[in-house]
Formats: sequence, structure tokens, C-alpha cells
Amino acid sequence: MDRQGQIINPSEDPHLPQEKVLKFYRSMTLLNTMDRILYESQRQGRISFYMTNYGEEGTHVGSAAALDSTDLVFGQYREAGVLMYRDYPLELFMAQCYGNMSDPGKGRQMPVHYGCKERHFVTISSPLATQIPQAVGAAYAAKRANANRIVICYFGEGAASEGDAHAGFNFAATLECPIIFFCRNNGYAISTPTYEQYRGDGIAARGPGYGIMSIRVDGNDVFAVYNATKEARRRAVAENQPFLIEAMTYRIGHHSTSDDSSAYRSVDEVNYWDKQDHPISRLRHYLVSHGWWDEDQEKTWRKQSRKMVMEAFAQAERKLKPNPNLLFSDVYQEMPAQLRKQQESLAQHLQTYGEHYPLDHFDK
Amino acid sequence: MELSSLLTRRRVGMAAAASTAGRLLRLGAVRAEGHCRRLRRAGLERGFLQPTSAGKDAAQKRHVAHFTFQPDRESQEHGQTQKMNLFQAVTSALDNSLAKDPTAVIFGEDVAFGGVFRCTVGLRDKYGKDRVFNTPLCEQGIVGFGIGIAVTGATAIAEIQFADYIFPAFDQIVNEAAKYRYRSGDLFNCGSLTIRSPWGCVGHGGLYHSQCPEAFFAHCPGIKVVIPRSPFQAKGLLLSCIEDKNPCIFFEPKILYRAAVEQVPVEPYTIPLSQAEVIQEGSDITLVAWGTQVHVIREVALMAREKLGVSCEIIDLRTIIPWDVDTVCKSVIKTGRLLISHEAPLTGGFASEISSTVQMLHTRRNPIHFFWEDCYLKLFSHLYHGYG
Repeated sequence: MDRQGQIINPSEDPHLPQEKVLKFYRSMTLLNTMDRILYESQRQGRISFYMTNYGEEGTHVGSAAALDSTDLVFGQYREAGVLMYRDYPLELFMAQCYGNMSDPGKGRQMPVHYGCKERHFVTISSPLATQIPQAVGAAYAAKRANANRIVICYFGEGAASEGDAHAGFNFAATLECPIIFFCRNNGYAISTPTYEQYRGDGIAARGPGYGIMSIRVDGNDVFAVYNATKEARRRAVAENQPFLIEAMTYRIGHHSTSDDSSAYRSVDEVNYWDKQDHPISRLRHYLVSHGWWDEDQEKTWRKQSRKMVMEAFAQAERKLKPNPNLLFSDVYQEMPAQLRKQQESLAQHLQTYGEHYPLDHFDK
Repeated sequence: MELSSLLTRRRVGMAAAASTAGRLLRLGAVRAEGHCRRLRRAGLERGFLQPTSAGKDAAQKRHVAHFTFQPDRESQEHGQTQKMNLFQAVTSALDNSLAKDPTAVIFGEDVAFGGVFRCTVGLRDKYGKDRVFNTPLCEQGIVGFGIGIAVTGATAIAEIQFADYIFPAFDQIVNEAAKYRYRSGDLFNCGSLTIRSPWGCVGHGGLYHSQCPEAFFAHCPGIKVVIPRSPFQAKGLLLSCIEDKNPCIFFEPKILYRAAVEQVPVEPYTIPLSQAEVIQEGSDITLVAWGTQVHVIREVALMAREKLGVSCEIIDLRTIIPWDVDTVCKSVIKTGRLLISHEAPLTGGFASEISSTVQMLHTRRNPIHFFWEDCYLKLFSHLYHGYG
């Protein structure tokens, strides 16, 4: 697709059915709506932290759509659209961000550290690139299990500088693992532009150095992302080898709510990408030109999606936080004596001094 | 005058030492058990604590370990046994694991041909190259890869070639493996990961083939750290680590790989984790150690009895974390004195954790202690912890 949503090369048109493409669009826009509301909620002090996905929705949805639903996903932190595409409920996105008692993660992590077992999305962790060699191990196990499953591993161009990335690439190639390495090259690692991150030809150029077939795609073209991922998946399963996709995109939002990117880039630069090359706009042009979407539907959907998000948001806010006992469980599978003693000690402490703690906000 | 006569004596002494060394070198060709028996007979009478200026011993010292391995009495509980050294006991455990668990895989640097310490000899031929395989030379990759296998539920047995090289994997161990279950709310875990690594002094290892890094990991909730003192212990503890539903680090005292020989059951068996073992009862002082140092401590206990009339209770800690506070405390209540000995550096070594925990229990007035408040004990003297 070009920036006006016109297919450039008809032989590369995936010819996806209307339902599927509409799902792409709804996933991306719902994510966008959720991002706006949760970003605002952090500004208002309702949640502690948030990271938006502005501008990268195409990378998430295009790749997620090309996978099987049982393919295991290892992400970094800016891949919420993959979960969105897999129909992760708004309620649970919110629960994790609020750290309330409905959070399947039991409220232990900062916001946006989602995880979902049923949807095969491994829980996010803050350290960068640690997921890369792990994804390779998981792919190796999938290969041994003959499960017709692959693993996809997302990371940014900044994380690709970590030693773990090098380790992961090399292991995947030498051990012949069915894995897709998906690099979101969005131009910045917090404030560090790509010129200060690497001097070579991006991430895709590193692949052949490891013996990994690599491709660079326009990350804001959801169909290009879809095509590349689809083909990579097909071959990874058939040939038990890794593939590297570098999706060129742009991080329209700040790195996180702790960042103000006007400190290191111009508003003009951001506006350019937002207005001229946004994955959502490009897909909308495509939909409209096919007669699959129009102004009225857009209006209706915006209202509807906003309403859905607001409802989930209000509910999440009202819920209690998890029981403090959950501080101590799951450190090990069984609770060792030392932790049990610490837990008892906290219980005793709260019995005496509970009035000094906001216990009413926590599940009993 | 005195100096020259000293020099003369030293030259004579060195000549004598050289011939002794020659004898020892020939002895070196004898099988390990023979060497150990000779050492044991020679042992205490020769005076390991005599000054090294005793001329004829000077060259011999290089060929003599600082301890004698003392096997435990053979266990009858687990069926037929076979004479094994420590690396063979490890191989046996790995063999049992791969036989029993079709998902189990072993990987690391050089494991395919049998490993630099021969712990994986024969396993690749027996179980296939997809189950016993080399990885590239990258510890952070080895552990990260192992975590990933374990996340899918398969059993991952990773080898780090020397504990001295485990540090590149520290992030993966501490930030990832240890926290996987907790941070995901138990949606995911890597409990089926075990990391094995040669550990401890070997005589000639220098800074980078001798380290005991257990203290770094002791500070990390979510993993278990286990160190055996013998082949029998090694096999049982390693099998427990592999079966344990938490990521475990199993340190294997490399100096014991060949020097320690015992009857070890051929069939699989487990020894519980987080249980220290009182290997000798006593009444005057509690001695705590783990790994190789247990054997040093045993000799110390013998000397204490013979020369000082002191009755020592010896505890092999076995699991460093989570450690068996109860057993150590019960013992110190009985004896009133505690000495902890480990190879690792003194400052921040694991003896500090043990001694401070026991000390806390002693100081009932301490307002911040909340462990075992009903465990009252008197210490007759300070705690002493030394390093070997």
C-alpha cells in the first residue's frame, strides 16, 4: 500500500477478506482509543505509568494477523496491539494498568506489563532484550514437540543493541529454531535516535551476519507487514530456521508518560509522521476506496469504541487492589519458611498498625 | 654463617623434595582411589598444619589437596549401587533424567563430546543430538535459551562451564528466571530450568577457575542454590533440582569430580532440597560448611577432638537458598557455639547471612527481628566464621 492506501504492486496484494481487514482496522483504532484514555488517566494521577503505541499499530496488527493463534509471543513492551488483535478484553488491559484485584498478573508489575496464557502472550518484563534468547529456547522446544508452532519475538531497534539480542540471533541460527525476530525500528530509544544507536544498515543487515534470512518492510503498511510475517511463518515451520523482519515505523508518542519528547525532537517531525504516514490513516484510505468503510461508520465506531473503553476504565478504577498476601506468593511455587514468616510478620504488623495503611483499598 | 647453613639445608631439602616429588609424580599415575588412600594414611600424622618451611614437604604440597575426601557410609535404601566419582554421579543423574522425561534436554558449551569435566559423556549418543547439544559460547544466551525452553514446560538442563563465567547470565538468572512466576502472577514460570556449573577451588585454578559465587545468588528470591559434598549427595540433589518446580542452580565442586568416589545408586533417587544434614553429632560447637569445605571441617572436627577434647557437631548446609534455618538453629541451641567455614570471600559471604540470622535469634531484645521468636538460645561465645 502507498500512503493513500492504494496497492502498489497487485501481485503483493494479500487479498484479505473484508471481515479480516475490518478487524485490522478496529484493532488498531481501539488500541489508539485505549492509549489516549490511559495516557490521560496517568496524567490525572489515576494510574502510575503508561506507554502508548501511537504510530506502530500497523506493526502489531499486521504481524499478529499472520500468525496462528497458538504461536507464542514474546514482546518487549510496545506490542499491545498483538494482544488487542487476539481479543484480549479491555477489562484485563485496564486491570493490569490499575493493578487491581482482577489483574491476572496479581498487580505485581508496572502498567503495560501484560501477559496472557490463553492467548500465548508471555508476560512482559522491563529489562530489554531479555526475551530474545528466551524466545529462541521456546522455539527450540516447539520444534522438538513437533507442534506446528512458531515463536515470534518483538523488540525495538534500541534493544537490538543488547548482548541478549546478539545471543538470541546466534542461537536461533545455530540451533535451527522456528522463530520470527520482529524488530520495530521506530527511530528512537527514548531520546536516542538511530544514528546514535547503530552505524550499520539497521537491524535487517545484521541478520545475514548470523546466517538469518532477513527483510526490511514498511512498518506502517499493515499489508506489507502481514505479507512478510506470513511468509516468514510458513518458512519457519517448514524449514526450522529463523527469520528477521525489520519493520520501519515511527514512534509518534513519547517513550512513556515519564518522557517529554519535545526535549529531543521537533513537533514538526512528529506531525509529519502523524499526518503523512500513519498506519491507521493508510488502512482507512484502503477501506474507503474499497467501499468497506465510510464517514458514518467512522463516527459510529469512534463513539462506540470510546464508550467501551470508558466503561472498562470506570470499572477498573472502582475495583480493589489485590490482597497484600499476594506480595509473598509465587516467589517460589511453594512458599518457603522464611517467606511465610515474613508474611506472618506483616500480618501482625498490620494488626497493630493497620490504621496507618490504606487497607480499605485492598482486597481482604 | 647461619644464613649459609640455612641455604645449604634448603638445597639439601630441595633435593630430597625433588626426589619425593618424583615419587609423587609416579604415584600420580596410579588411580585416584589409590592416591586418596595413601593420602588418608599419610594424612594427619604428616601434619597438614606443619609450616611449609619443613623442606621436604615444600614440593610435595603442590600435588596434595588441602583435604581428604571422606565418603559416607553406603546407602542401602536405593537399590543396587556402583562405584562412581562425582562427575560419574552427575552423568548418572542426567542419564536417569533424560530416560524418564522425554522433554529433557542438556546444552551448554562443549557438552556434546562429553564436557570438559566429562559430566555428559555418552549422553548424546544415547539420547540424540537434539537432546544433548552444544550452544555457541555465550552464557547469557545459554541461560536465556534455557529459560525459554522451560517456559514451554520442557525440562532444560543448562551447563555453565565454570561458575566463574556465570556472571554474563546474572541478568537472565536474577531479573528473569527468578522472577518469572511472581511477575506473571503464576501465568508463566521457568521452574523446569536447572543450571549446573563447576564450582570451587581446585588448587591451580587461579582467579577464574575457582570461584564460589553462591553469595551473589543467595540475595535473589525465586531461585534455589544447591551444593553437594559427595557423589551420592550430588546425584540425589541434582535429581531434586531437575524435578523441582523452581529454577535451580547446582554448583558441582570440581575438585571432587575425580577425587570423590563412593558407592552411588544406579537408579534415580532424590535428596530433599532446603534440608541441611547433620553429618556428625556433637555437643560443644556447631560447624557449618558446604561442598568441598565439609571435608576440611570433618578433619578439623577430628583434630579438635584429638587435640582439644572438643566435641563438634557438623552440618552440611546443602541448599544455600532457601536454607534450613531450623536445623542450624536447633544445633546451635544445643551446642551454644557456631563456626561457619566457606571458600568464598569473607565479606558478604553466605556465612554472614547464617551468622546474622542466628545472632538475631540470640538477641531477644532486638526489636526488628521477627523470625522464630520462640527459639531462645544462649551463645557462650561470639560466632566465628572463617573462610578456607
